[in-house]
Amino acid sequence: MSVFSQSFSPCGRFLAAGNNYGEIALFSLSAALSPDASEGSQKPILNFTAHDGPVFSLLSTDTHLLSAGNGEISAWSWAELIKKVSQLFSKCMCIFLGLGKMYISFHCCDNSLIVGGGDNNIHIMDMETGIFKSVLKGHTDYIHCLCFKEREEEILSGGEDGAVRIWDSRTNRPVHCIEVFKYEECARPQFGKWISCLATDSDWMLCGGGPSLSLWHLRSMSPTSVFPLPGCQREAVFHQDLIMSVGEGPYVSHCLHGGTVKAQIPCTPSSLNTLALNLKNTEHRVMTVGGSSHQIDVFTNFSYRAFSLSF
Amino acid sequence: MSSDAVKKRKPKVVRNEAGTPETKRSRAEGDQVTYPAGPHLIGQRKLITAKNQEVRVYNEEVELEDRDPQQDYMLYKDTCADLAKLMAEIQELKSSGAKVGSVEIEERHRQCSVHFITLKKLNRLAHMRLKKGRDQTHEAKQRVDVLHLQLQNLLYEVMHLQKEISKCLEFKSQHEEIELVSEEEFFQEAPAEISRPHVTRDDNHQLTLARLDWELEQRKRLAEQYKMSLARKEKIQKAIEQKREYLSSLQPGLQNIMQASLPVQEYLSMPFEQMQKQAEVARHLPPPLYVLLVQAAAYGQACDKTLSVNISGDVDEAKALSRRPEDSQEDESDSDAEEEQQNTKRRRATVGVQLEDKRKAMLRRHPLSLCVDLKCKDGSVLHLFFYYLMNLNILTVKTKVSTATDLSGAVSAGELLNSESLLNCLYASDHGKETPNPANRYQFDKVGITTFADYVSDLGHPYVWVQKLGGLQFSSDGAQSELRGSALSASHMEKTMKLLRGRLQARLALHKQFSSLEHSIIPVSSECQHLFPAKVVSGLTRWTMMSYQEFTELGFVQHVLKAGLVCETDLFFMAVVERGTARLLAAVVLNPRYPEVMPLFSLSLHWKGERSGRTEDNLRAMESEVNVFRAELQGPRPGLQLLTNQIQRLCVCLDVYLETESQVCDGSEGPREFPREKMCLRTARGPSRLKPFKYNHPQGFFSHR
Repeated sequence: MSVFSQSFSPCGRFLAAGNNYGEIALFSLSAALSPDASEGSQKPILNFTAHDGPVFSLLSTDTHLLSAGNGEISAWSWAELIKKVSQLFSKCMCIFLGLGKMYISFHCCDNSLIVGGGDNNIHIMDMETGIFKSVLKGHTDYIHCLCFKEREEEILSGGEDGAVRIWDSRTNRPVHCIEVFKYEECARPQFGKWISCLATDSDWMLCGGGPSLSLWHLRSMSPTSVFPLPGCQREAVFHQDLIMSVGEGPYVSHCLHGGTVKAQIPCTPSSLNTLALNLKNTEHRVMTVGGSSHQIDVFTNFSYRAFSLSF
Repeated sequence: MSSDAVKKRKPKVVRNEAGTPETKRSRAEGDQVTYPAGPHLIGQRKLITAKNQEVRVYNEEVELEDRDPQQDYMLYKDTCADLAKLMAEIQELKSSGAKVGSVEIEERHRQCSVHFITLKKLNRLAHMRLKKGRDQTHEAKQRVDVLHLQLQNLLYEVMHLQKEISKCLEFKSQHEEIELVSEEEFFQEAPAEISRPHVTRDDNHQLTLARLDWELEQRKRLAEQYKMSLARKEKIQKAIEQKREYLSSLQPGLQNIMQASLPVQEYLSMPFEQMQKQAEVARHLPPPLYVLLVQAAAYGQACDKTLSVNISGDVDEAKALSRRPEDSQEDESDSDAEEEQQNTKRRRATVGVQLEDKRKAMLRRHPLSLCVDLKCKDGSVLHLFFYYLMNLNILTVKTKVSTATDLSGAVSAGELLNSESLLNCLYASDHGKETPNPANRYQFDKVGITTFADYVSDLGHPYVWVQKLGGLQFSSDGAQSELRGSALSASHMEKTMKLLRGRLQARLALHKQFSSLEHSIIPVSSECQHLFPAKVVSGLTRWTMMSYQEFTELGFVQHVLKAGLVCETDLFFMAVVERGTARLLAAVVLNPRYPEVMPLFSLSLHWKGERSGRTEDNLRAMESEVNVFRAELQGPRPGLQLLTNQIQRLCVCLDVYLETESQVCDGSEGPREFPREKMCLRTARGPSRLKPFKYNHPQGFFSHR
C-alpha cells in the first residue's frame, strides 16, 4: 500500500488519507493524541473505497472533502464523514481530462477548483455549479502539482515536462515559465526533469522533483538556494522559518532557507509521498507523513516521530 | 468242682490214695472190707457200688450227717475241759512228786490221748463239715452260675433279635427308590392282570408289588423303544455323513466353475465374485475402515468411476484379533507382568527394551488396510493406503503416485511428489504431524512417546480429513458438527476426493512445469498467451529449490516472514531472471495447497546496485503485479498455469522496468542498454514514478493500473 494524499478536516480533529487502492481512511486525531490512546485509536474510524484507481489528491474545503482519482473528482461531506457515513456527496467526472487513469491534482481558492490533469492542461471549475470555467494550456506533459499565491492571485503549476508555469488566475494567462532543469545548480539529469513538488510563500517558491529541491526568489526568478537532498522530493512546505520536505528516503528533511539541511528525521515508510501540517487546530498541531507503507507517521513535536497511524 | 476240691486235698490224704486201690481191690474181691483200726485209715471215701450192697464201710462222712454240730461243739468243749482237767491233774501229780511213769499219770496220759483223739476226730469232723458246707455252697453257686449264664445267653439272644427286628424294620428296600406312578394312574393304566385290583386294593404289599410289576413292564417297553430310536439315529447319522461327503466333493468343482467364470465376469464388468470376496473380508475390518470402505465404494460407484477400493492385509490375523480380543489382552498383560518380573531380576538395560515393546504395542496397526486408487485422465494414479491404529483409534494414510510416463529430470521437483508431503495441508493447516485424538496424549505419556511425528513416516499421516472419512470425530476439531460415523464420512467424501485429485493433478502439472523451467523455458499454454506481449526479452536463467533455512536467510524476504505468511511446510524456490546486466532474484513460496493459494514472490534486483521491493516502489509494484492478480493469471480451470504465468509476467515486468528506466533521463551517457521496445502510454505516473506494468491485450501497450 502507498499513501498518496492526506487532508485534515476543517475542525482539525480528523485526518483523511488516500491510498493507491482508491481507499480513503478517516483517522480521529483527538482519539489518537489523547492520553489514553490505545492501538485501536491508531486505526481508521472509517475506511471506504472512493475510486477505482489511486487517490492521488485530497483537498478539504470548509465543508467538504474533495478526492481525485481515476478521472473523477468526488466530493464528500465532512459532517457525514465524521458521523462515519461515507456517502458520496457529489461526483464530477472529468473524462475530458485525459484517458482513463491519470493523475489529478488540485487546489482551491474562492469557490473555484483548480484542477491539473493528464491532458497537460489546468482547468478551473466553479465549485458551486460544477462547470469548468476556463482552461490554462501551456504544459507539454501532465501536471504534477499546483499551488496558489493568494496575494497576487497567481497559480503555479509544475509538470512532468520540467516546467514551472505561473498563471494569473484573473486573466487566465501565463505569466512566467521556469524550466528548472535548465539551471545547472538544480538540474539532476540522472533523475529527470519533472517537477513533483511546489510550494510558495509570498515571494519564495520551492520546487523539486527530478532536479534538486531549490528555493527560488520569484521576483528575480532565480534559485537562491539548492538543497543537497539525495532523492527526489515529492512534497515540500514552508513552515515558519523552516522548509520541510519529503521524498525518496525514509526521512523528513528540515532545511533552512540558506540551503542547509538542518535535520533529517527518520520515518517508518521507505519513501514518503505526502506531508501535511495540521495548522488549523492548535490542540492537534501535528505533522503527518505518508508514503510507501500502510503506516502514517505522526509528529507531535516536529523533531521526532511520535507514533504511527495504521491504514 | 467237688473233685477238684478233693484233689487239692490230696497231698494231705496221700495215704488215702494208697488206700484207694486197696478198697478198689477189695471191692473187686467182693469181700468184706475191714478197716484196721488205726489213725491212718481216717477219711476214706465211701464207695458203694450196686454190686456190693452188703459191704459195710465206715464212712465218717455218713456219720457226719448224723451228728449234730452243736453236740459236737459241746463235746469239744467238754473234751477240752477234760483235757484241761487232766492236765491239771497231771500237773498236780507231777508237782506232788509223782514219778514220771506212774500209773495215774499213765492213766491220765491215756485219757489225754483219748481226748486228743477225740479232739482230732472233732477237728476232722469240723473240717469235714466245713468241706461239706463249702461243697454245698459251691454247688449252689454253680447252679446259680449256670442259670445266670443261661439268663445272659437269653438276654443276648433277645438283644440280638431285637437288633435284627429293628434292622428289618429299618430296611429300605430298593423298591422305594423307584418312582412309581401314582396309584390312580396305576389303576387307570395298568392292565388287569398286573394291577389285580381286587387283591391290591386291600393289601398294600400286593399293591406295591403290582405297581413294581407295572413299572418293570413299562421300563422294559421303553427300553425297547429307546433301542429302536438309537438305531434309527445311527442310520440317519450315516445318511448325513454321506451327504456331507458328497457336498464337500462338490466344492472343488464349484471353485473351478467360479474360476472359469472370472474372465466372463470381467468381460461383462460385473465383478460379483470380487465384490463377494471383498464383502467377506470387509466383515473383519475395524469400524472406521469399514465406514471408509463403504463410503468410498459408494462414492466410486455413484459419482466417480475412476475410484476403486481394495482391502489388503492379513485376514487371518484380523480374524484372530476379532475372535479373542480379551484373551489376547490378558495374554499381553500376563506376559508383560512376567516380563516385568523377569526384568527386575536383570540389570536396568532392559527397561528401555521393555518400554520400546510397550510403545510398539501401543502403535500397533490393524492387519487389514484399505487401498484407494484415484485414476486421472492422463493415466497417473494416486494410491492411498489407509491404516487403522487400534490402540490409538485413529486412521493414518500413506500415499504413492504412479504415473503413466516416467517422471524424471526435474531436480527441483523432488519434493513435489514426495509421499511424505504430497498430502500436506489438503485442508488448511492440516499438517498430519500430530494425532488428532486428544486421548492419545495420555496414552503417549504412559509409554514415553513425546511426539507422534517421529512415527509418522512409519505409520502414515493422521490427517484430520482421514479421520473424517472414517467417521471418526474428535472433540478438538474446530467445527462441532452433529454428524457421526457414516454421515460424517459421506459429507466429506466428495470434497476430499476432489481435493485429492486436484492435488495430484496440480503436483503432476508442476512437475512437468518444473522440468521445463529448469531448462529455462517458461511453458506458457496457448490459452494464456493473451496475457503477455509477443516478445519477451528477459529470460529465466535458473530455477532451483531452496530449503526453509535458506529462505529465512535471504534479506529481501523478511517482510514475508514477519507477516507470518510462510510456514515450514511450504516449498521454496529461487528463480533468476536476467536481461543484459540486470539480474532479478525472485524467492517463491509455494504453499502445499497450490493452486488454491497463490505462490508468493519476493523480488530483489541487481542492476546498478541492489534494490528490493522494500526500498523501491517500482519493484514493489512489480511484486504486487505478480502476486495479487490471481484471476488474470490463473488461466483456464483448474488454474494449473498459475505459477508459470506468474513467472512470465515477472519477465514482462522486468522488461518494462528496464526499458522505461532509461527513458527517464535524457541525455545520458552512451547508448541505452535496453532500448525501448514496449509501447507505454506514460512511463512514470504519480509522485512515486510508477511504471506501467499492466499489459493490455490485444492493443499491446502497457498502462498503469
